[in-house]
Amino acid sequence: MDKIENISENNEELDALEAHLAGTLRPVKPSRDLIVRLRGRLRMPQRSEIIIRLRDWRSLFLAFGGVMSALLVLITVARALYYLFGRREG
Amino acid sequence: MPDPEVKEEDVLARASQGDKDSFGFLYERYVDRIFNYVYYRTGNLHDAEDLTARVFQRAMNHIHNYTDRGVPFSAWLYRIAHNLVANWHRDRSRRQEIPLNDVPVLTAKGDHPEKNLVRSQEQESLLRLIRRLPPERQSLLILKFVENMSNAEIGQIMGRSEGAVKSLYHRTLLALRDQLGDQVISLDSE
Repeated sequence: MDKIENISENNEELDALEAHLAGTLRPVKPSRDLIVRLRGRLRMPQRSEIIIRLRDWRSLFLAFGGVMSALLVLITVARALYYLFGRREG
Repeated sequence: MPDPEVKEEDVLARASQGDKDSFGFLYERYVDRIFNYVYYRTGNLHDAEDLTARVFQRAMNHIHNYTDRGVPFSAWLYRIAHNLVANWHRDRSRRQEIPLNDVPVLTAKGDHPEKNLVRSQEQESLLRLIRRLPPERQSLLILKFVENMSNAEIGQIMGRSEGAVKSLYHRTLLALRDQLGDQVISLDSE
């Protein structure tokens, strides 16, 4: 019997706590000014900026490709010279 | 005001292609909810404003990464907000404690002034206790009471099952009740 009373007491306490929570955690309505101000802070990238970024990537890719090609040529020349002079000395 | 008839998927598709107006629509639809969440998690207007702006800025920069895998856009936004608030708390804890002075204490109309005063103090105490809860439990209470979400909706945001949310909610209530034990707040139903 005591157990049942305890359970119902517990449930009543939790119900009361829920009511308190509902009374305390109420939605806050931000002012229209605040919403407009926040919106003003958002900066959407322009289409032209996206194109510039893409162009940057393209030029970066071309530069990288150019450097790699130049390195390849240098290595090939170096190897050719090594074999040429290496053989003579040997 | 955003038109509720407009299909969100269409707006999202346009927004992810860089359409400003579409993102503006999403902003108008969700700004109140995100602001409320951040406000209750931080406890002051200034930081709530700043963090809300950052949530939408981040959402705008990464909207092309958002793919609808059964997770609503709102859940994605709340996750961004949750992460930013977590970072904010981390930075803040290194410096000082969170002020609670700005937390709104709402009083019911028509009550006797003395009763209002007691109620405000009780609400302040309860808010203080909520702030001491682990972040996940705070989020759960805010989403449940401020945003009026169901356990299933909260589960989508928190990445938990409906049952897990229900269980966490019950444990949170029990923890709060135990902490309230010695405090002024009376849990007697009026």
